[in-house]
Amino acid sequence: MTAKEKQQQYERFRIGARIEHIILLVSFTVLAVTGLPQRYAQNELAQSMILAMGGIETVRMIHRYAAFLLVLGSVYHLFTSTYRLYVRRERNRMMPDLKDAQDLVGYVKYNVGLQEEHPKMRKFNFGEKLEFWAVVWGTAVMAITGFMLWNPIATTNVLPGSIIPAAKAAHSYEALLAVISIVIWHFYNVMIKHWNPSMWTGKLPRHQMAQEHAIELERLESGETPWPEVPAPILRRRRIIFTVTSVIVGSIILVVLVWAFTFEETALITVVPTREVFVPLATAVP
Amino acid sequence: MSRARITSVAALAGLCLLVGTVFTAVPTLFARGENRGPETIVPPAAVLWQTELPDTHPPFDSNACLLCHTDTDETIIFPSGEELSVQVDAAELAASVHGSMAASPLACQECHQPPNNYLYPHPPVTEERLRDWEIGQSNACERCHVQPHLTSHPGPESEKPVVCTDCHGGHEVQPAASWHTGAHVENCTSCHEQQGVEVTAAEATAVIQAGLFAAQQTDNAYCLSCHSQPNQTMTFANGDVVSITIDEAGLHDSVHGASNEWDELLCTDCHQDYTFPHEPVSDVSARQYSLNQNNLCQRCHEDQFAKALTSVHSAALMEGNLDAALCTDCHSAHDMPVPNEPRSRINETCRQCHSSIFDEYAHSVHGEALIEEANPDVPSCVNCHGVHDIQDPTTPEFRINSPNLCADCHADKELMAQYDISTDVFATYVADFHGTTALLFAHEGQEGAQLNAAVCYDCHGIHNIKSPDDPDAGIKANLLETCQQCHPNATENFPDSWTSHYKPSLQNNTLVYLVELFYSIVIPVTVAFFGFLVVVDVYGRVRRRGK
Repeated sequence: MTAKEKQQQYERFRIGARIEHIILLVSFTVLAVTGLPQRYAQNELAQSMILAMGGIETVRMIHRYAAFLLVLGSVYHLFTSTYRLYVRRERNRMMPDLKDAQDLVGYVKYNVGLQEEHPKMRKFNFGEKLEFWAVVWGTAVMAITGFMLWNPIATTNVLPGSIIPAAKAAHSYEALLAVISIVIWHFYNVMIKHWNPSMWTGKLPRHQMAQEHAIELERLESGETPWPEVPAPILRRRRIIFTVTSVIVGSIILVVLVWAFTFEETALITVVPTREVFVPLATAVP
Repeated sequence: MSRARITSVAALAGLCLLVGTVFTAVPTLFARGENRGPETIVPPAAVLWQTELPDTHPPFDSNACLLCHTDTDETIIFPSGEELSVQVDAAELAASVHGSMAASPLACQECHQPPNNYLYPHPPVTEERLRDWEIGQSNACERCHVQPHLTSHPGPESEKPVVCTDCHGGHEVQPAASWHTGAHVENCTSCHEQQGVEVTAAEATAVIQAGLFAAQQTDNAYCLSCHSQPNQTMTFANGDVVSITIDEAGLHDSVHGASNEWDELLCTDCHQDYTFPHEPVSDVSARQYSLNQNNLCQRCHEDQFAKALTSVHSAALMEGNLDAALCTDCHSAHDMPVPNEPRSRINETCRQCHSSIFDEYAHSVHGEALIEEANPDVPSCVNCHGVHDIQDPTTPEFRINSPNLCADCHADKELMAQYDISTDVFATYVADFHGTTALLFAHEGQEGAQLNAAVCYDCHGIHNIKSPDDPDAGIKANLLETCQQCHPNATENFPDSWTSHYKPSLQNNTLVYLVELFYSIVIPVTVAFFGFLVVVDVYGRVRRRGK
C-alpha cells in the first residue's frame, strides 16, 4: 500500500452529525466540569473549582444552561434521525446485532493472538455502537433525573417524593459512570490509540477505515454511495409531512423546556427571620 | 521626713534664735531626738505625728504671752468686722495635751506661726475674715502632725474645709485617746446639726471607736459605714433616683467580694478618685453614669472588654441605643455572682432584656432540660451566641455558619450517645441538597451572600426547638407545613423528597439505596469491561510491533 493510498480519505460524517458532536462535546464537558464538583462538594479541590467558576449559584446556572444545550442537541438528534430513517429511508446501521458480539470476541482474540485476522467491521463497529447507546442511555437518565432535581415540586405533584433523592443519587452516579466511560473508552479510541479526525473533517483515512471499518471500506470502494439518494418528488412530499410534524413537536418541546427553565420556582429565597428580640421583662435598672 | 522639710524647720529654729527679745534661747528645740513619740492607741494605718518629736522641750517660757493674754478684754477685729477675743484660759491650756502639764509642753509660738507675726507689739491681722485666720492657724498643726489622719470631712482643697481645730479645739486640745471614750462627740453632733445632718452622740462614738477616722479611704468598711445604711438614694439632674445603699452581704459574696477565692476588690478600685465629701456627679442621668463607669471593667478584664467591643450590644450602643447592654447590665455592679453558676443563671441574665426569646427557649427541648433538670450538656444562650463577643444572629454569615453550631454537639458521638440521638444528622444534612449548598456557601465566604437553602433552624426552629417526634410541635407532626415555609407550592408528596437525616438503607430511603446498589455494581463492571478492552488493545499493538 502506497503512502498516498494510505492517506486517501473516505466519507464518514456529514456536517449535521459533526455539529451534533460539537454540541454534545461542549455541553457534556461543561456539565461534567460544573457537575462533578457538586458531586464532591466536601472535597477542597471541588470547592475551589466551584469558587473559581463564580460560586455555587453561578455554577448551577451554568449547569442548567449546558443541560438546556444538551437537551436541545438530543432533540435535534431525534429529529435528524427521524428524518434519515423515515424521510430518506436510510438503513438503520446503529442497532446492535449478533455480528457485533462476534466482532467483539474476534477483536479480543486477534489482540491476544488467538486469531490471525482482525474482524472485518461495518460503518459502526461494536465499540462505537456501545458508545452511542451508552450516550443515549446516559443522556436519558441524566435528562430525566436532572429535570426532577431542577423541578422537584412539579415532579412530586405527580410522583412520590422519594423519587427525588433517588434521582439525585442516580444523577450523581450516572455522571460518574459517563465521565469514566468517556475518558477510558472514547478518549482511548479516538485520541490515544490514534488520532481519529472524522468528527472534525468528516473523513477517515484509509488505514483507519481498513482496520476499523473494513466492510464499509469495501462497500465504498465498490462504488456505492455513502448515503442513499432518494428521488426528488417522493422526497418533497415526505419532507412536507416531516416539517409540519417536527415544527409542532419541536415547538411543544421548546415550550416545555423554556417553561422549565424560566417559570418553575424551586424555592423562595429564604428570608432570614427578623423579629423583636429586645423585649425586656421590666424597665432596665440603671 | 524630707530633706527640704528638715532644712526649713532648721531655718525656722535659727530665726527663733535671732528674735531673742521675745524668746529665751531655744538652742535644740527641733534638733533630732533619740526617742520616739509617746505610745498611741490610734491604729497604725495613720501616723498622727512625726516620729522625731522630742520627749521634752528645752526650758521655755510662755509667760511673756500669758502675761497679757490671761486677763484681757482685748479683741482682734478683722476687716470683715468679726471679732475674736484674745483671752487664753491658762488652766485649760496647761491641762491640754500640749500644755505645761503634758509630757511635751509646747510654747505659744510653736503654733502661732510664723513667729514674726507675733512680735510685740503685734502687727494687725492680714486675714480678711475670722475663718481665714482659723484655717491658716490650723496649718501649724501639720508642722508636727505631718500626716494627719484621713477623715471623711472636707479637706483644705474644699471650699468649706473642716480644719483640725474645728474638732480638736485650739488651746484645749486633748489626746486622741480621749476621743475613743466618747468625750468630745458633742463637737461632732453640734457641727453636724448646724449642717443639717443628724448625727447622734452614740453614732459618732461608734464611728470613732471603730477606728474609721484613722482608716484609709480605700477601706470598704469606711465607705459602707454610710452606704450600708438602708434607703439611701441619690438624684440625678434629669430626675433619676437611684439607690446608693449597697447590700453588704451581696458585696461580700460577689465575685469581687471577700468571700471568694479571688482577690477582694476595694470600693475605690472601681470608684476611682472618690473623695469625701463626694464631688457632685456630673452625669445628668443614671444611665449616663453607668455608661461612663463601664470602661472601668477594662482595667482588669481586658480580654472580655475587647471582645465585648465587637459585640452586637456594643454596635447598638455606637448607633446611639443607650439601653444596649453594658458590663454591669449582665453582671450587675455590686452583688455580681459567678455568671454561670448555676448554668440557668445565664438564661436569666439574657432574659432581663430578651424575655420573649427566653419564653420560647424555656419550652424548648434544650431549655426544659436546663431549667428543669440542670442538664449540663444542653446549650444555654451563650453556647450558641457567644459570651462577650455576641454577634448579630440575623446576618447572612451567622446563618451560613449556623449548622456548625448545631454540629458542635449533634455530631459529637460521645455526647449524643448519652441521649440516644443519631450523630448522622450533620453528615446526612451536608450530603443532601440543603447542606451541600450551605457548605459551599460557607466555603465561598462571600460577604453578604444570603444562603437560600434551609439550615438546621429553618426546620427545627431556633429557640423553640422541640424533639422532632413531639406530637404537638415536633416537625414530623406537619412536615409539609415546614417545607412550605420555603417551598410554598409544595404538595403532599414533596416532604418525602427529604431524606430525613437517614442514611439510605433497605428500611429508609429504599429507592436511593437501590440506586446506589445498582451503580455500585454497574460502575465497576463498566470500568472493568472498558479497561479490559483497552488493555487487550494495547497488548495487541505491543505484541504486533514486536513481530
